[in-house]
Amino acid sequence: MKAAPFAYVRPSRLSDAIAELAETRGGGKVIAGGQSLTPVLAMRLARPDTLIDINSVEELGALTRSGPALHIGATVRQRRVERDPLGASVPLLRLALPWVGHRELRSRGTVCGSLAHADPAAELPAVACCLDAELTLSGPNGHRRVSAREFFHGAMTTALTPDEILTSVRLPVAAAGEGFGFAEIARRHGDFALAGVAVRVRLRAGGPEATMTAFGVSDRPVTRDLSERLAAAVNDGGDGLAGRLKEQLVAVVEEIVDTDGDIHASRDYRRRLLLALAGRELSKAYERARDGAEEVTT
Amino acid sequence: MTVGEAGSREAGPRTPRPVKAGADDPVEVRMTVNGTPTVLSLPARVTLADALRDHLGLTGTHVGCEHGVCGMCTVLVDGEAARACLLFAVQLDGTDIVTVEGLGRPDSLHPLQESFGRHHALQCGFCTPGFLMSSYDLLVNKPDVTEEELPEELSGVICRCTGYRNILTAVDQTRRAHPEGIPGPGNCVRTALVGRAGQGTDASGGPDEAGDTVSPSVQDIVLPSGDPTIAVRITTEIDLPEDRVWGVLDDIYLLARCLPGAELTDDYGNGHYAGRARVSVGPIKLAFNGVAQILEHDREAGRLRAIAQGQDTGGAQTQADITLTTEATGTGTAMHADAKVYLTGRIAQFGRALAGDVSRRMFEQFADAVTEAATSGQAPSGPVKAPSALSLVFAPLLDRVRRLLRGAGPRRRSGRDKER
Ligand SMILES: Cc1cc2nc3c(=O)[nH]c(=O)nc-3n(C[C@H](O)[C@@H](O)[C@H](O)COP(=O)(O)OP(=O)(O)OC[C@H]3O[C@@H](n4cnc5c(N)ncnc54)[C@H](O)[C@@H]3O)c2cc1C
Ligand code: FES
Ligand code: FES
Repeated sequence: MKAAPFAYVRPSRLSDAIAELAETRGGGKVIAGGQSLTPVLAMRLARPDTLIDINSVEELGALTRSGPALHIGATVRQRRVERDPLGASVPLLRLALPWVGHRELRSRGTVCGSLAHADPAAELPAVACCLDAELTLSGPNGHRRVSAREFFHGAMTTALTPDEILTSVRLPVAAAGEGFGFAEIARRHGDFALAGVAVRVRLRAGGPEATMTAFGVSDRPVTRDLSERLAAAVNDGGDGLAGRLKEQLVAVVEEIVDTDGDIHASRDYRRRLLLALAGRELSKAYERARDGAEEVTT
Repeated sequence: MTVGEAGSREAGPRTPRPVKAGADDPVEVRMTVNGTPTVLSLPARVTLADALRDHLGLTGTHVGCEHGVCGMCTVLVDGEAARACLLFAVQLDGTDIVTVEGLGRPDSLHPLQESFGRHHALQCGFCTPGFLMSSYDLLVNKPDVTEEELPEELSGVICRCTGYRNILTAVDQTRRAHPEGIPGPGNCVRTALVGRAGQGTDASGGPDEAGDTVSPSVQDIVLPSGDPTIAVRITTEIDLPEDRVWGVLDDIYLLARCLPGAELTDDYGNGHYAGRARVSVGPIKLAFNGVAQILEHDREAGRLRAIAQGQDTGGAQTQADITLTTEATGTGTAMHADAKVYLTGRIAQFGRALAGDVSRRMFEQFADAVTEAATSGQAPSGPVKAPSALSLVFAPLLDRVRRLLRGAGPRRRSGRDKER
C-alpha cells in the first residue's frame, strides 16, 4: 500500500525543526531513517499530517567521542556506527548492530530512530539500557536529559512528548576490565527477537559487577543487576560457568518474561530461550572481561 | 510532473535544501540515477521505488511487499544497499542511486549477473534485481565474507522460487573469481530517463500532475554515452537534383511529415521542437511525445543532423541521433540516413533484430516520402501513415523467408546495409 498524503518539511536548523514540529500540534512526526516509520505509513497504521525530515540538520549528524562517552546524533545511521572506528569504543553496540534487521535497513536506519521507535523486541534500546545511556530530548522549552532506563515506558511509548526530538544519545565507552555479551533468537536473521540479552560485566576488587538487559520478553527492555548471582556462580569454581549461571538465573528469568505467548513462541519457550542466552552470554562476558580480550579502541 | 536532465554542472552530491511543502505539493528532487542527473518533481509520499519505476521508467527495481520485508526493491543509495520502498524520493535530494539497470549492460553483464545466469540462480527472476544489488553491496563492503556467512548475509532478500542454493553459489563464485574486489557497476552512463507520465498511476493515486500529454520544456537533449540499441544506415537514390531535395530538408514541418507517423506540435525556437510520433507493430501501439533539436543544418555541406528524445505513456523510451547527408550523383541525389537509436523500457524488449527491422522500414518509408515531397514540392497528403502491422511485421519476415529460400548467407545489398 501507499502512504496517505502528508505535508513535508525539511529544515536545516534544529531550532526550525523544533518549531515546525510544534506547529503541527501533535499531527506531525519526525522522520529519520524511515525504516520503521515508512512501513507504518505504507500500511496506513499512521496518517500524520506532516513529516519533519531532520536529515538536513547538520548538527544532528555528529558521531564523536568526548572523554568517557560516545555521542551519536539523531541522523547517524546504524551502518555508519558499525563501520566507523569510533563505534568500536562501545563494544556492546558493535555486538548488537548486526542483529538489527538487515544491512539494507541499517544503511538508512538511525540509532536514535530505533530508540525513539521503542519496539520492545529491538536490540538498540536494550543496549542503551544495559549501558545506562543518556538521551537528550529537545523541545520548545529547551533540552532535557533522560537516562535510557527511564526513557522506555512501554511498547512504542517513551518519555518523548509529541513536540520533542531525540537529538542524541551518549553511551559510555568501554573501560579496561569490562566484557560484554549479546545474543538473541529470532526465527530468521533480521527478524525481531523472540528473546534476547545484552550483558555487561565489570571486574572490581570486591567482585564482578554484572548487568543484564533482556528484550523481546516484555513490553520494554528489562534491566537487572546480576552481580551477586555472577559472583556466586564464579565462586562455585570449576568449569561450566554458563551452566552454573543458568541455575542461578532461573528465578530472575521467570520474573522478567511477562509477555504473553504468541504464534511464534509461548511464554515458557521464551523463558527457556532467555535462560540459555543469559547463562551463555554472561559467562562469555565474564571471560572476555577477565582475558581483557574485549577490544577497546580510542 | 516534470522530468528532465540537469546539466553536468549540477551533478554530484549536494546537501538537500530546506523544503516546506503541503500534502501532495510537488517537491523538487535531484538525483543522479545510474550516472544520469535527473530532476523530478514529486509529492512527498512517492517512494523511491515508485519514482524509479513510474517516473524514470526503470522497472528493473521490483516491488513486492512495499514495507521493507521482501528486499525486491533493493538499490544502492550513495553506494549502499537500501530498500527503495522505505525511502521517500524527496528525501534523496543530492544522492547517487544505482539500480539493477546500472549494474551491467545487456551485451556486457556485470560478473554477478553473469554468475547468476551461469549457476541458474534465477527462475522467475522476480527477486533477481534485489539479490544482485544486495550481493553487490555485500561483496563490496565485506569482500572477505565466508561461504558460511552468506545465507545470513543475504537473508534480506526473499526468493519465492526458493532458488537460494544456486543464488548462494552464484555469489560465492563471483567472490572467488574476484579476490581483489568485484568490479563497479558497468552501466552508469548518461541515458534517457523518462517515465510513464500521463498514465495517471503514480503513487499519489490521483490524476497525474502532467495530465495526458507531457509538454517537454525547452531543454538540451543529452544523448546517452553508451552504445546505441540499433544503428541503421540507409542510402536512397532520388531522381531529383540536390537542391530539390533540400527544398524538403529546409522545411522542418514538411520534413517531419515525411517521418512515418510523426508530426511537429511546437516550435520553441533555436532549433528546438516538440512533436509526436505513432508507431504500431501488430498489437503493439506506441504513441511518443518528445522533443527534437536540430544540431546541424548545412545545405552547402549537404548535412542535416538532429537528435530527438521521446517517451510513450507506458514507459517506453527512445532517443535518436540522425544524420542526413546528400550528394549529387550523375542522375540525381544520393541521400544517406544514419541513425543511432537508443531504446529503454518495454520497447527494448522487442529484441534488437526486430527493432532494427522496424527502424529500417521506417527510414525506407521516410526516404520514399522525402522523394515524393521533393517531387511534388508539397507535403505528402496528411502525415505519413504510421507504419502498419503488415508492412512492419510481415515485410521483415518475408525478407527473411526469401533469404532462407535463396539459401544464401547474409544478403548483399548495394547501398543498403544494417549495422549490428
Ligand atoms: C523488515 C524490517 C526488519 C526490521 N528488523 C529490525 C530488527 O531486527 N531490530 C530492530 O531494532 N529494528 C528492526 N527494524 C526497524 C528499523 O530498522 C529500526 O532500525 C529503527 O526503528 C529505524 O530507525 P529510523 O531512523 O529508520 O527511524 P524512523 O523510521 O525514521 O522513525 C521511527 C519512529 O521514531 C520516531 N523518530 C525517529 N527519529 C526520531 C527523533 N530523532 N526524535 C523523535 N522521534 C524520532 C519517528 O517519528 C517514528 O515514529 C526492522 C524494520 C524492517 C522494515
Ligand atoms: S518491496 Fe521493498 S522490501 Fe519488499
Ligand atoms: S527467482 Fe523467482 S522469486 Fe527468486
